[in-house]
Amino acid sequence: MVASAANARSAQPVVRTSDLTRSFNGFTAVSGIDLEVAPGTILGVVGPSGSGKTTTIRMLTGSLAPTRGEISVLGESPRSFSGRTRAQIGYMPQQFILYPDLTARENVDFVATLYGLLLFKRRRRSRQVLELLGLWPVANRQAGKLSGGERRRLELACALVHEPRLLILDEPTAGVDPMLRRTIWDEIHRLRDTGVTAIITTQYVTEAEEVDQVAVIAGGRVIAHDSPAGLRRSAMGGEIVEVETTGTFDASALADVPGFRNVRQTGLRTFEVLVDDAGEASAAMAESVLRAGGEIASVRELQPTFEEIFAAIVEQGGAGVPEDLSATAPAARSQEAGTR
Amino acid sequence: MKSLYRVMALVGKEIVEVLRRPGAVISLVLGPFLILAIFGFGYHGYRRDLQTIVVLPVGANLATDPQEYDSLDATGIRVISVTADRTAAEAQLQSEAVDLVVVIPANAVQALEQGQQADLTIEMNQVDPVQANYATFMAQTLMADVNREIYRRGAEAGQAYAVQIGGQAAKIPADVIASPTVAKVVNFAPISPAIVAFFGVAALALVLQHMAVTLLALSIVRERTSGAMDLFRIAPIRATELVIGKVIAFGLLGGAIAAISVALLVGLLGVPMLGPPILIAVTIALLLGASLGLGLVISIISDSERQAVQLSLLTLLASMFFSGFVLRIDEFEAPVQAAAYLLPVTHGIRLLQDLFLRGSIEHPWQLGALTIIAAVLLAASWILLRREMRPA
Repeated sequence: MVASAANARSAQPVVRTSDLTRSFNGFTAVSGIDLEVAPGTILGVVGPSGSGKTTTIRMLTGSLAPTRGEISVLGESPRSFSGRTRAQIGYMPQQFILYPDLTARENVDFVATLYGLLLFKRRRRSRQVLELLGLWPVANRQAGKLSGGERRRLELACALVHEPRLLILDEPTAGVDPMLRRTIWDEIHRLRDTGVTAIITTQYVTEAEEVDQVAVIAGGRVIAHDSPAGLRRSAMGGEIVEVETTGTFDASALADVPGFRNVRQTGLRTFEVLVDDAGEASAAMAESVLRAGGEIASVRELQPTFEEIFAAIVEQGGAGVPEDLSATAPAARSQEAGTR
Repeated sequence: MKSLYRVMALVGKEIVEVLRRPGAVISLVLGPFLILAIFGFGYHGYRRDLQTIVVLPVGANLATDPQEYDSLDATGIRVISVTADRTAAEAQLQSEAVDLVVVIPANAVQALEQGQQADLTIEMNQVDPVQANYATFMAQTLMADVNREIYRRGAEAGQAYAVQIGGQAAKIPADVIASPTVAKVVNFAPISPAIVAFFGVAALALVLQHMAVTLLALSIVRERTSGAMDLFRIAPIRATELVIGKVIAFGLLGGAIAAISVALLVGLLGVPMLGPPILIAVTIALLLGASLGLGLVISIISDSERQAVQLSLLTLLASMFFSGFVLRIDEFEAPVQAAAYLLPVTHGIRLLQDLFLRGSIEHPWQLGALTIIAAVLLAASWILLRREMRPA
């Protein structure tokens, strides 16, 4: 996955923005956003509500014109998308925009036809996406009578039905139960592995684990843009190692060991150390503890939760942590690595 | 090919959406017919006789029994009492117990004999200008009849007076002297349609316009407010395809409703259909096309469902007043007449009334006018929709 993403990154970006800015009556919703999204990667745009995620997405789709800056999507400006380029974009908006009086299948068929799928392919693809997202049993139910989760899946089905090269999904997992959330991410990963590029906004910071690149957006600005691992490192200043010794140990003895930073005693037999690379630090740790008269029982890397990471990033970015930025997906709380 | 599929997808989507709402279907199909049926069965076409008091001064040489006035030709007026008390009569007029008070001068016959005119006063208490005009017209008819009666009585009273009129006048009956001409009304129209036929056809045109305007206006406004317009902005669909798809869908629905309404109008209400059905169909198609164009323009300039409904209702109100449905267009000032001819229904009513009740079109230019209105409105809506589908 990482290799394919790395290979893809060497190609021309699918989306590129430069100084992207949008104002509404003097209020700047999005300011100076520079992004590049390589083919076959998933970019997660993470930020609290009102941070400018949807405005950015709408500019990428051509629904909204930027006040300033440049955008290139699939090599074209969204202001003047050709029909061919439009046909390569799959868009799932934040709110339900489909037709409540049409059945699930009719909605998918309608969108498929808008995207130019003719009769037989349309039928085949409609069925495929409905089955894929578990909607086939309710295919003949009117969209207005579907549950909230089914409606989100239906919108995703409509975004996928024409097999787009670029998926733009605005909070696809909002209000969706954990099982369905997993299904949606699995499908997005599967599509990414077939070369589809995806830009996905989310308020759930823990979902940053699911993407290849994360852009943290707050107050209309991108305050961090990196891989999830890169973000973790940059937010915390390195990797945190938790050490347990067989007996009582005074961790202050390690304060002067080169490469060990922020040594913090957490118990009579436990302490934490910030290092550049947890894997490389293990041997030095064992030696240093032994030299200081202790003996290591276990060493493990502590992975801070993305809540902590984003809190750190937002604070570094000069803003307070908005309440909904700390929202987490219920199924993805623990991010601790196992004992090494 | 894909373009055709997109248009057909829109057509199918719109029709399915409308048909999925049974209430809407019932009101669409049965509503216009019910209105026509209630109108046809409930409107007899004759105005209530104006209740009238004749104030006759004591000593006037005219009948004092109200029933004697029934023999006069003044239809539309019923003399309910003859009194010498003008104040009491006017009090009844003030309280709207009666519609008219006719004050006959005391010296009417004598004045005639002396070759002078006497003032006959007609009083009413009416703020409705249409009703006031009608009452005035009726009162003048009564006045003519009273004049004739005065004349007749004068002729009967003095042979010498009749001799003064002409050498052989003594041999001429008093009725002939009083009324030397008798009006004979000749109508060149092929039929004299019942009220329901005349207004039923007009109501059909009005209902079709209102239905087309409202359905289409709400359809697009709903798509805008639900966010579905974003789908059209992003998908490879053009404004042209959107306009064509919407117009075909609602044109088909309107056409089906028109066909059902015409069948009910002719079959159940007995409205004659003298004109060729194909020309009637063409007229209805043009009326629907122009109305759909109007609906599209309303939908694009409206920013909410509420505004679209308000504008649709204002269009209906304007159509009621200015289209010739109630008031004749030539009774308006020239600028208002010009504005009236901008409404599709103005032409629709006249063309359909001509086709149904005369069998041919009296003013073929109105077909052209309807075509031009449809073309201009559809082109305008296409331009506006194109602009709306661009990035905001």
